[in-house]
Order: sequence, then structure tokens, then C-alpha cells
Amino acid sequence: MSINDKNSVHSVSPEVVLTFLKKTIPFNELDDSTLRDIARHIIIDFFPKGTVLFKQDETEVEYLYIIQKGGMKIYLKDEEGGITLKDFRGEGAYIGALPIIQGTRANLNVETVEDTFCFLLPKKIFLDLVQSNSRITQYFLKSFSEKFIRTAYRELRHRNMVPRTEGTLFLFSAKVRDIVRREPEFIGEDRPVQEAARRMADLHIGSLLVKSADGQVAGIVTDKDLRTKIVAAGRGLDTPVRDIMASPVHTIPDSAVCFDALLTMMKQQIHHLAVEHDGEIRGIITAHDIMVLQGSSPLYLFREIVAQRRIEGLYPLSQKVPLVVRTLIEEGAKANNITRMITILNDHILDRLLTLLIDEMGPPPLPFSWLLMGSEGRKEQTFRTDQDNAIVYEDSDDPELNREAEKYFEKFGQSAIDHLENCGYPRCPGDIMASNPKWRQPFSQWQGYFDHWIDSPEPKEVLHASIFFDFRHGFGDSSMPDKLREHIIRRSERQQIYLLHMARDYLGQRVPLSFFRNFIVEKNGEHKNKLDIKHKGLTPIINFARILSLKNGIKETNTISRLHALADHGHITGELCSTACDAYELQMQMRFVHQLKQLENGVQPDNYIDPGQLSDLEKQMLKDAFAVIERLHAILKSMFPAI
Amino acid sequence: MKVFRELWGSLFRKPHPAILRNREIFQDFDQSLPLSHYDFVVFDTELTGLNKRKDEIVSIGAVRIRNLHIELSSSFYELIRPVTLESTDSTLIHRITPDQLRNARPPEEVLPDFIDFCGNALLVGHFVGIDMTFLNRTCKKTLGGHILNPSVDTMRLARGYIEGRGVYSYGHTDQSISYRLEDLSSRFDLPRFKPHNALEDAMQTAYLFLFFLKKLKKGGIKTLKQLYQAGRIWRLM
Repeated sequence: MSINDKNSVHSVSPEVVLTFLKKTIPFNELDDSTLRDIARHIIIDFFPKGTVLFKQDETEVEYLYIIQKGGMKIYLKDEEGGITLKDFRGEGAYIGALPIIQGTRANLNVETVEDTFCFLLPKKIFLDLVQSNSRITQYFLKSFSEKFIRTAYRELRHRNMVPRTEGTLFLFSAKVRDIVRREPEFIGEDRPVQEAARRMADLHIGSLLVKSADGQVAGIVTDKDLRTKIVAAGRGLDTPVRDIMASPVHTIPDSAVCFDALLTMMKQQIHHLAVEHDGEIRGIITAHDIMVLQGSSPLYLFREIVAQRRIEGLYPLSQKVPLVVRTLIEEGAKANNITRMITILNDHILDRLLTLLIDEMGPPPLPFSWLLMGSEGRKEQTFRTDQDNAIVYEDSDDPELNREAEKYFEKFGQSAIDHLENCGYPRCPGDIMASNPKWRQPFSQWQGYFDHWIDSPEPKEVLHASIFFDFRHGFGDSSMPDKLREHIIRRSERQQIYLLHMARDYLGQRVPLSFFRNFIVEKNGEHKNKLDIKHKGLTPIINFARILSLKNGIKETNTISRLHALADHGHITGELCSTACDAYELQMQMRFVHQLKQLENGVQPDNYIDPGQLSDLEKQMLKDAFAVIERLHAILKSMFPAI
Repeated sequence: MKVFRELWGSLFRKPHPAILRNREIFQDFDQSLPLSHYDFVVFDTELTGLNKRKDEIVSIGAVRIRNLHIELSSSFYELIRPVTLESTDSTLIHRITPDQLRNARPPEEVLPDFIDFCGNALLVGHFVGIDMTFLNRTCKKTLGGHILNPSVDTMRLARGYIEGRGVYSYGHTDQSISYRLEDLSSRFDLPRFKPHNALEDAMQTAYLFLFFLKKLKKGGIKTLKQLYQAGRIWRLM
């Protein structure tokens, strides 16, 4: 190669640098010539172990640092000088993106923990790249949206009384396999329980896996089983293990993060999970193992909820949900994980509350299900979600029983709504609640409602009913909601005119970008010049997922799950699915941050974001998310060409 | 006759402007400034062989260190057309074919560019003596003069660093330590480059140099003079 042009002579980048960038996210997205262009501007520096690169709130960040070799720790220092470790970064990771993008000083302290070589990309080049290349933009926007939230809470952290420990990081980063402490121990299913107890005592463990005669893992026996099913029940020490074991054993892949293990345990109401790798059980983890890592955690709140013996005891607990959520957000949890956690906590509060209420009132005359609608039905609650609920109970031919049920559920519905309100869940302004007799009906009546909405020639009614189509079972007998869902799916196969009504209405809503790609904001009233992120940004995606799911017989109600199910069944492309999910999560995240800020300031949370307060980059992020809505609209249009 | 004309030319010809500029720069060179004030050009040459009398330079790769970090925007790589174009044993090592060399510019065109590229920088190389010998021999022959940039040998730095850490007795060189660029790079666990390409080798050397600079700086060596006095590692040409 002989290049006579002086400029290019002096700007050849060694292949190693190019090769490195080519396998480094997100630079691997760039084409060759852009990459060469970037590589030309790179500066290489070496930082011996123990070099402090960034000082929180002091260092002006001039470069994006990409780690070629070595490692760094990232930590926070509070006013008292206490250090909280936030993260480790290794090869291929970078630091400095957020301060550059936000134009602020370093938000954290960074120090090398090994001899470290870095590629330094000058601030200007990096910003140009972020602004000119949409894939890079998206990448940094996404990770930015997570980090942004943490930064938004820096203020808050200073005033935060909750001590922050290194352990809190583990929930999202530690793999289940990292906390398995030992190989599993087994016992034959026909062995006496006393032998099981002796082995557990000898080994200092709290559970044994039970093997059947053919060597399969048949179940698990824990010390609680021995306590409740043998000692307390006065059964013989020679009872075979088989009689008291829990079966089957719940498993979790060893690559799952502890957060998922926690969710599984909470959902199944169990304390032990078998850790599995390639179909083989590698060990057992307990809720305690995770709690030890986690310190003060959602699990504690969960336990407090389950332990309540009085309904009034639940009132203050639900107020703690935002606190738990704040911790999650600070730890960088994704919006979808946060809503899942809120949903599970709220579900448990509901479960406990209604159980205690039934204890108080006596058993219901007929089996029933407490239905959750709207965002609760979709498992997409944020803070202080309005109540949207209803009761469906079993049909009966006995008029006496029916009257009794009517009376019982009237009182039950009314009390439950009052208690929920005391717990901090505001009443539904549209009165879609179990206290409203219209939404407290036997199964046949509910079936009739849905038939009417599906067959309805009246578009308005269909629209009012959309949130009903997102129902799910909340408490009680789950067979009726299942039957209802099946019924709707069968009927939708024949009758799709109602979907056309829905689609037509959704398409009437304009995407919140004007022709000039500026934001459309509220023109009048209290929220003048503000953007309603829920109705303008999130609802279109929710609606799209709902219509396509109803059209294609998908039972899911959660928007992200619906989109994934649609992609799995080939109704939308995988690319559209992930783009729409990204847009959805991004906006959810912004909404979370906005609402948390309001809660902190003692303001009732709302959905109105002031575009004037957004950085250029955040605006860009939102615009990209809105561009997805245009695509979704185009798909609806081609699907319902009559519009 | 040809030999005579060359000799005559080299003795009495006015040196190339690049050589003159170089002389001016280094007329009074200040060694007392902090290390960060100096530019370093880390370079490597590929040769047709190691015979100082008849072998020639076929490529130069170089990268600049400024403010104590490597600037990729300021790197240099070019092939040089030797007088003898036949392949030699070295062709197998550096893998530059005679065909590629035939299309390259001759040293009298490439070297002035390189000298200007170096400017007032100190030259850094691994076993830099060999590269400097070939470089200055070629300069003398084709441009009518030497270049005066002081040079730094990373091999000597490595020896100073390893011995200075007290593992080995002062002045005694442990024969079991290999001071080859590749071996030192793996000893200090540096990122690795493809060997036997002048630019990649220059990069590898630059990494090694940066490593020593920063490690020694932590040890209190802040100025060029201190570094010069501290080690038996400097060699001013």
C-alpha cells in the first residue's frame, strides 16, 4: 500500500484497533468506512491500577473511554465519605457516555482496578456519531434511559436514609448459579422422615431432594415439612418421605438472575428452588440465600404483606411500594421488570386483603373471581394506579342462592373498594369497580356483556369497553376468567367488526409528531404545552397489541407479552416486536422517572411531560419511539382496509 | 564511477531541506521540561535483512505520543522502494512482496515526509539502535545528512524497569529474561498486535513505552532529565 496523499498517510489505523471496535457493542453496528473514520480519532491511554479517572461531580469528561484491556470500578461517595460500589467494567465496556450526552460532569467515581488500556474517543466525535447514526443513537439512548433514571435520583440519594450496600446490585447481576453453595443432597422416597431429619441435621442443610425408585427427582422435603407435617401433625417418625414431600420440584435455569428467582418464589409462594443446568439439578437456592445478598428488599415487604392478620395492617404497607420501586429504579431495573414487581406486590396486597375480608364475612355463597382490568389487567401498573376491578360469580338456578350472592357480593365489593382506597389505590373515575352493581355479575351476564361489545354496531360502546378486554383473574376461582377468555377468542374468530371499530378510533388519534417532526402538545388547559405520554405515546402501542391479540386469539394481556406472542406466532416480525417493545419500555421508563419526581415533591403523579424540560437527546429518543407508532398505524390500516 | 559520485554527493551536496529543518529544531534542545511536554514518535522499520552495509529499509510505521497518550490520528505508515527488489529471507517475515515494493516511493521521497512527521519529537523504538542506524544511513545517503532526534530504547527501559523493581541485583542482567518485544508484551500482559508489520510493531512498542512512562511517573519521575539521569536507558544520538 502506497499512499501519496499526506493526510491518509498520517491516519492509517492499525487493524487491531479496527478489529477491536468491530466486536465491541455498539460500534460493531457501523460500516467499515465510518469505523475507520472513528478509529482515526482515537487516542490510546494507559492507566496503572489505582488511577482515579473520574471524580464524582468534579471531572469534566472529555472522552468516551472504551476499555481495551483491564478493568475499572465505579462507585459513589456520600457526604460522610461512605463508599457504595455500583459496578465493575471490563474489556469492551465504556465509561463517560452519560456525562457527555447530558453535558454534565462525571456522575460517579471511576478508578482502575487493574492496569488498564483504554481507547479514548473525543467528546465531539462521539456526540457527532450519536447524532448522525441512528443505530448508535438508539443504543446509547436505551442504555442512557436506564442510567438517566439513576442520575435523576442522585439528588434523592443524598437525602436517602436507606443505607446502600454493594449487595443491592446483585439482584440484577448475580446469576442463580453464583449463589448455589453446594451440590444437592438426595434421599429415597420410601425412606423414613427421621432419616431425612438426621441427614439434614448432619449436613446442616434445610432441604433434601427426594428420589423415586427409578432415580428420578420426585420432590423436595424441607425442615418446614418436617415441622408442620410430622411434628405438629403428630405423625410417626417412620412415615415415608414420599408422604410429606412437595412435588414436583420447581426449577430455575442456572443462568437466570436472582431477580427472576425471587419473582418465581413470590409467584409460587415457595422458598426453595432447584437450580438446573442441562436438565440436571445442580443445587438448591432459598429465599434466604437471596435475601442475604439483598439486604432490605421487596422480599421483606412481601413477607410483611403475607404476615398481616388485620386488613388495617395492610394500609401502611402499600404505601411502601413506591419506596421499593425507587430502589429498583436506582439499581437500573428495566421498566418491564419494575411493573412486574409492582404488579406482584399489589396482587399480594389484594390477595391478603380479600382473604382477610372473607375471614371476616364468612365464605361466599357462590364461587367467584375478582377481575382486574385496564393497566392492572395488563400487569402494567405504575404508582397509584386507579382501581379497575369487577366481580364475576357462578350462575345458579336457585333464586334464593342468587339473592344471597347478590347481597354478599354487594357488601364484599363495597368493603373491598373502601379498604383498597385506604391502601392508597384511588377510585376509578369511570366507576369500573366491584362496588358498582353493573360490574358485579354472574358469569352468564359477563358473557352477555362481551357478546354485546363484540357484536355491537355501536362504535362508542366498543371503545368504552376496551379496558374490559384486558381483564385477568385477580383472586378467587380462576376457572371463570379462563372460560370467559376462551369464549371471547371463539367469538372473535367469527365476528371482527368490533376490532374494526377499535382500529378506526385508534387511527383517529394522531401520532404526537407534527409534519415537521416537532411534538404535538396539549393546546389548552392546565397541561398546555405538555405532552401526555400515556395517551399519546403508550396507549397507541397498548391498543395495537390488544387489537392484534384479540384478532389472533392470543390470551396474554400484558403488552410486552402480547407483542412477543404475536411475533412468536408470526403475526408481526421479530424486528417490529423488538422495536415496539423498546419504544414502549423507553416511554414507561420516562413516565416512571417523571412520576417518582412528582411523588418526591409531594405532587400527585400525572402523565404530563414538558418537552421543554427534555434534553435534545431525550427528545430524539421520544421522537424515535413515536416513529414506531406511525409504523403500527400503517399496519392497522393495511389490516383493516375499510378505514 | 557511480560510487564516487554518490560519495561526492553525500560529502558536498547541500543537505535536503527536511534535514536542515531538523537541525534547526534540535539546535538547543531543552531536557528539563516535564515528560508531558514532549512529543514521542514510536516507530519501527522492516528491513531486507540485518546487514548494515547492504540491507535496506522497506517500510516505516510510526505513531505519535502526545500528552502521554497515543494519538491514532497522527500515525505514519509507508512502504519504501529499495534499490534491490528481489525477495530476501525477510520477505517471508514481513510479507511485503517485491511487486508492492516496485510501486512504492523511493527513500528520498518518503524520508522527508517522515522527518517532518517526527518534527521535534523524541524517537522511540525497541532495540532502537538498529532502526536508527538504518534510518540515518539512508538519510545520509539520500538526503545528505543525519537526523538529530534523541532516541529512547524501550528494551533498555524494560531492563531498567525490571531491574529497578529490585527483583534482580543492580547492574546484573538476568539472562533468563527475554527482552523481545513479544515476550515483554506478554510479560506485562499488554494488548497484543500482529508482529512483523511496521505499524503494528510500532503500536506494540508504543503500548510498552506508555506502560513504562506511566509506571515510572507514578514512581516520581516527572521530567525528561530526571528520566535521563535515573536510568542507563537513554541514548542521545
